[in-house]
Amino acid sequence: MATTFETALKPFPLPAETEDEGYYTYVEEVGFIPRDIFKYVASDPMGDLQRFSTHIVIQHTLFFISFLVLASTGLPIYFSDVFWAPYVISFYGGIDIARLIHKIGAITMVITSMYHLLTIMGGTAIKIFRKEFDLKRTQIPRLKDLYDLIHDIKYFIGLEPYRPKMEKFMYKQKFHYIAVTYGTFVLTAAGSALLFPDIAAKLLPQTIGKILPPSMVGAQSFAAFFQDLARLMHADEAILALIVLAFWHWINVHFVPGRFPLQWAFLTGKITREHQIEEHFLEYLNNLKEIPEEREYMTRLLKEKGLGPLEEKPSKQKKCTLSDFPRIN
Amino acid sequence: MKISNRRIIFWLLWIGISAQLFSVSFAKAADKENCLMCHKYRSNARIDETGKKRNFHVNEKLYNRSVHRNISCRDCHTYITKIPHDPVTQKVNCANQCHIRPPFAQEKFSHKKIIDLYNESAHGVKPDDPQVLKDALPNCKFCHLNPLYTKISEKRVAYKETLARCYNCHPESGVIMAYKHITHRLRKRTSRSSRKIVKLCTKCHGDNVLMKKLNVSKKALRAVDTYNRSVHGKLVRLGSQKAANCINCHASSALHDINKRDNKKATINKDNIMQVCRQCHKNADQMFINIAVHPEAVHSGNPIIKLVSISLGLGMYGSVLALVGLLLLETLGRRKDGARLLLKRGTIWYGKQKSKSPKNK
Repeated sequence: MATTFETALKPFPLPAETEDEGYYTYVEEVGFIPRDIFKYVASDPMGDLQRFSTHIVIQHTLFFISFLVLASTGLPIYFSDVFWAPYVISFYGGIDIARLIHKIGAITMVITSMYHLLTIMGGTAIKIFRKEFDLKRTQIPRLKDLYDLIHDIKYFIGLEPYRPKMEKFMYKQKFHYIAVTYGTFVLTAAGSALLFPDIAAKLLPQTIGKILPPSMVGAQSFAAFFQDLARLMHADEAILALIVLAFWHWINVHFVPGRFPLQWAFLTGKITREHQIEEHFLEYLNNLKEIPEEREYMTRLLKEKGLGPLEEKPSKQKKCTLSDFPRIN
Repeated sequence: MKISNRRIIFWLLWIGISAQLFSVSFAKAADKENCLMCHKYRSNARIDETGKKRNFHVNEKLYNRSVHRNISCRDCHTYITKIPHDPVTQKVNCANQCHIRPPFAQEKFSHKKIIDLYNESAHGVKPDDPQVLKDALPNCKFCHLNPLYTKISEKRVAYKETLARCYNCHPESGVIMAYKHITHRLRKRTSRSSRKIVKLCTKCHGDNVLMKKLNVSKKALRAVDTYNRSVHGKLVRLGSQKAANCINCHASSALHDINKRDNKKATINKDNIMQVCRQCHKNADQMFINIAVHPEAVHSGNPIIKLVSISLGLGMYGSVLALVGLLLLETLGRRKDGARLLLKRGTIWYGKQKSKSPKNK
């Protein structure tokens, strides 16, 4: 491996500091892939490589519609004294209808969450059964994500030449996924306590009383305490979720360079090639292994300038840089 | 002579409008003693000894539509014995018997029963109350103003058909009154919306200066604020008829028996409050009644709640600022590297790079 690496470098008289191990990645049958190849590939804005299954696309659609409905019916109730609240409520047809819609939205969200759990558990089970399961391709956070974040910040301020090689889900996606999971759990639990205060007051003190010593939590005041907590958490968590959604998720997904005006992945389930290589390089390597067409495309692209599988020795001192690459469609 | 179409339409319209106009006949008020002879004049007013302007005009149209339209003036203003009468010094006593006898009742009608209940309640004037309290306590008219009793338009189901059966035995005028009175209350829980009830109670209980003068407890002083913070208050403010308003909890079906919480008769007394909650929350038990109906602000309550609130706030601002900061940093870094906003001709890395990356030195 080391020898082929040496020979591969020969035709490219690149600056000394680029000769770090990470710049070229060797893939069998394809060749040496430079880290900044994403600048020279052709992408379809609608997406090239499968990222989400149809289940996930349906779940995302159901989830964001139910979330927006819940937020727009719940916020005017919480902020009932501000001027716009009655207008929003009258848009929904009065407070009683708005409450009904809020409950329907909540049920939709819970069902979607169940559906999602079922999908990922079933999918994982199938993958384990086929022995295809790879922990690195899941949403489970690893220590590498922290290093990736530090690496990425270094790149953004100019201390690193390239972005880290990341898996299918990068650090911010994992963070957001955990945040959404936690938020849905809290909102569902607190919302159920607000919807059925009498049942919550009956069940919780009994359950908690068995776990905690009675001196720690006053048995009498626990129902009241939990209701207060639910009131606080339901509103605060919803506002937090809405702010993160509006000021971060939307901008991050649709308004950053390269993704404007719309990233179609949430509808098509596909990611563009350059995005995959830039932010999810290790997943792209998996794609090369799994998709023959993609392997063919990348081989053709690399062969143009002699970076393909080294059957013969490349000629001496062939002066060219990556920017000379033509774009192959 | 040929009659033009326009003329026919004109006459038809004229007949229609006049029929409409004259068919509307207002119910005549029971003004047997002709008090309106003087009181119908708008200028029937004077400035009294204290310099206050007083108006004695009675608007007949308005009075004819009020609930008291069938009661003659002297049924309430009993102290008037001759015409022209002396200057009025007394106030009307709503507990008076009036000359109307309700169907199936032996006695003449009177509000005495409810007034007795009211006088026993927290709002009733007790002989040993201080003068400040006596002045502040509301009388009948404080809440029951005539404008509130004006007719509320409502959808009637088979109104005429139902009434027609009543006429078989009963005289028409009495039936209409009784029917309207009862069915109106049946269709709406009260004649006032929840929002109006809260507004009415807030008139005094939301007036902190007055409440401080009356030396009410700390909880009572903040009652309006805490109610508005509760989900009942929020829903009522947005127009809900299902959520609890003030009198749903603080009074029984008699509505006037509002008592302080240490009074055994009070609906909010410890022994009775569970029944009050069970009006809506069917499974309410001994635990449930501890839940704060008038929740205090988060920062003045339970220390754990306070801690959770602060940490949630910090988490909110912290995460949002950090995420947005990272987003800006990422955008700037990628822009510097040459990423363009729009994907054109299959790439976002077109055109000149703004600055060379360290690779291409």
